[in-house]
Amino acid sequence: MKLIQNYSQYPEMFDEMFDKKGITRDIYKNFEKFLKKSSVKNLNSMKDFAQQFFMNQGVTFTVYDNDEGVEKIFPFDIIPRIISYSDWKIIDSGIKQRIKALNLFIKDIYHEQFILNDNIIPAELIISNPNYLREMRNINVPNDIYTHISGIDLIRNEEGKFFVLEDNLRTPSGVSYMLENREITRRLYPEMIPREKVQPISDYPNLLYNKLKSLSNKKNPVVVMLTPGLYNSAYYEHTALARLMGVELVEGSDLLVDNHYVFMKTAGGLKTVDVIYRRIDDDFLDPLNFKADSVLGVAGIMDSFRQGNVVLVNCPGAGIADDKAIYTYVPDMISYYLNEKPILNNIKTYKLTNKDEKEYVLKNIDKLVLKRTDGSGGYGMLMGKSATKEEINKYKLKIKKEPEMYIAQPTLNLSTSPCLIENSLHPRCVDLRPFALFGSDGIEVCPGGLSRVALKKGSLVVNSSQGGGSKDTWIVKN
Amino acid sequence: MLSRVANNLFWMDRYMERSYGLLNLIKTNYNSTLDTGDYDSWNGILKSYMGIDKNISNENYQDSISVIEYMIFNNSNPNTLINMITKARENARSVQEHISREIWVAVNKYFLKITNKKFYKYYKKNDPIDFINELTQFHHIYYSVADISQERGNAFCFMNLGKYFERILQSIDFLNVKIDILESNENNLNESYFWKNLLISIGGYQLYIKTYKSIFNVENIIEMITINQFFPRSIKFSVDKLYSHITRLNEFNKPETNSLTFLTGKMKNELTYTSISSIKEEGLKNFVYKIQYDLNSISNEINNIYFYQNN
Repeated sequence: MKLIQNYSQYPEMFDEMFDKKGITRDIYKNFEKFLKKSSVKNLNSMKDFAQQFFMNQGVTFTVYDNDEGVEKIFPFDIIPRIISYSDWKIIDSGIKQRIKALNLFIKDIYHEQFILNDNIIPAELIISNPNYLREMRNINVPNDIYTHISGIDLIRNEEGKFFVLEDNLRTPSGVSYMLENREITRRLYPEMIPREKVQPISDYPNLLYNKLKSLSNKKNPVVVMLTPGLYNSAYYEHTALARLMGVELVEGSDLLVDNHYVFMKTAGGLKTVDVIYRRIDDDFLDPLNFKADSVLGVAGIMDSFRQGNVVLVNCPGAGIADDKAIYTYVPDMISYYLNEKPILNNIKTYKLTNKDEKEYVLKNIDKLVLKRTDGSGGYGMLMGKSATKEEINKYKLKIKKEPEMYIAQPTLNLSTSPCLIENSLHPRCVDLRPFALFGSDGIEVCPGGLSRVALKKGSLVVNSSQGGGSKDTWIVKN
Repeated sequence: MLSRVANNLFWMDRYMERSYGLLNLIKTNYNSTLDTGDYDSWNGILKSYMGIDKNISNENYQDSISVIEYMIFNNSNPNTLINMITKARENARSVQEHISREIWVAVNKYFLKITNKKFYKYYKKNDPIDFINELTQFHHIYYSVADISQERGNAFCFMNLGKYFERILQSIDFLNVKIDILESNENNLNESYFWKNLLISIGGYQLYIKTYKSIFNVENIIEMITINQFFPRSIKFSVDKLYSHITRLNEFNKPETNSLTFLTGKMKNELTYTSISSIKEEGLKNFVYKIQYDLNSISNEINNIYFYQNN
């Protein structure tokens, strides 16, 4: 009981469990009952159990520090983040709408470029963009789908409304943590999960496999997963997905291209590969077409792709649509291609290529968050609120050099969720990354997603590489 | 199955088997030094298992406890237990979709245990035999889990190739450690302690006593380790196993050449028609040398056909 009474919310942020007066929201009512019954000792032993579980199963990621890779478990908080089914329906339809528009956009950009000719998006933004791949011009891809697997990052403002923070359309990671988090909460809350009708997510691997399979014309295509290898920070995820789908986990050196077909080297000789779910960035995919010194990829694989002999998932060049500068135009894309209003809104974003907006940003830098348009994982960011003068001045110089590489957003207010930290409940900022799959039979969004938590007090950065953790996300139908 | 995966499975089991052998040997020698006080006996093991040629009985390693500590925990020597288990685990990590979840968890738990700093402190305070028994348990779990949870496909065969290959090499090592003494055919008392303990630790003691009663005779020991068909650590037994797994791999993968089944079948049959008197006639050194030579040829063929094909 004390746990709840002593809970002190962050000011000006939406708390997932309590309203401003400290009264428990309806969807958390049953969970509150559980908390009232539990002792701190009990909760701590649940936490230990979870940690031991992840450690023994090898659910770990690698952090690089001073060139030395250290294996760590992704910090996990045992208090679930609960979202109502009615909120979920909005998220679900908003994400579907967004992915539909983004795919039409990518197709358009690599074909007719109507959106540029109609001056909806400035052409120089595309042409000068490092994520725009000339190699993809006029190539038709199966079913016109470019982003088969996407992770859309959502946050909630002070009123509890969901906004899109970022689209991840290249190789979004985290889905294995979503699955493992559920594995563990099923063990921690064996009674509550069925009673609350928490929407199941465990068929994600089957769904993924079927979507991948549907991309090939063959009846029984060979699907493989391509990893950069053991030392990649997301290696656990690669092994988990390959294992759960029952497909081979290959490295670049396991594949070769002969006569524009891709083969893998097996104990029984060469075997044709039809669909590749690759977890390697575009740049490293093919040393003959992109970075020549890459040893992670496969020489000639792009030519095989162009001939239609192999399907690459996600398509090379899809990154043009999740660039942070392009992000600002997504609402325009939705109205241009679909003639609809966006269901999920963007966060106000200032483009530094625009003179007035740039002036505003430089003046109000202490109230803003600045990001590199090609950055990800929280690297290359500037938090105006907490940065030193020196850091700000350095950043300003960078902006002057290449304004098109930066955007600015108001300091975000994420929502908070109670977390068990040092024997009591404290609010911590969370975001939500649901995962969407796009196959020949349409788009499906896995109900829930990965709720990432900024575990440091007051912090807004949820990235695992910067001290973030995660918790399970329950979509409850009750 | 990918060639790389096959190779990693092979090495995963080789490292596990070698670690098991190392633990057994440590226990054996520790026990026999308790009987004899002969600390120099560690040198043979340090040479064949740790690749240390020099006599290291200097001030750092003057007692069994610190030699054992070195062989288990030293980070800089790639042949120590901690490093072999790390490698076994690394191999397991890269083939997770081919081994049962239970095998992975067994190896991972072992790795977490042995790399835990607390465990090292625990070693310092405890009886080495107890400690080694605790580690040996992880191997017993590994063997049983692999037996009951792993499907009998390619992966199982490659794992077993690694296991029995390593086991034969170890039997050769056992013989090599003592080969000069064996050749001289002296039945000295210290040696009989060693062999007795060795047989106890690898589970051959019961069989030996049943077969030969309690007379420790060098010839009988050689027979046990080389050509006994019932002793699961004999060379003959392991070659039979190699042959059966190679035959199954042949069925699964249908390689273009049958040179591998040919070589292994030949070795198997030669051992079937080897007797202790023919080994004596040939000389133990020559016999061991021939086994090593045949194994080398088989290993090269496994590499050519399954691990690094020229395509």
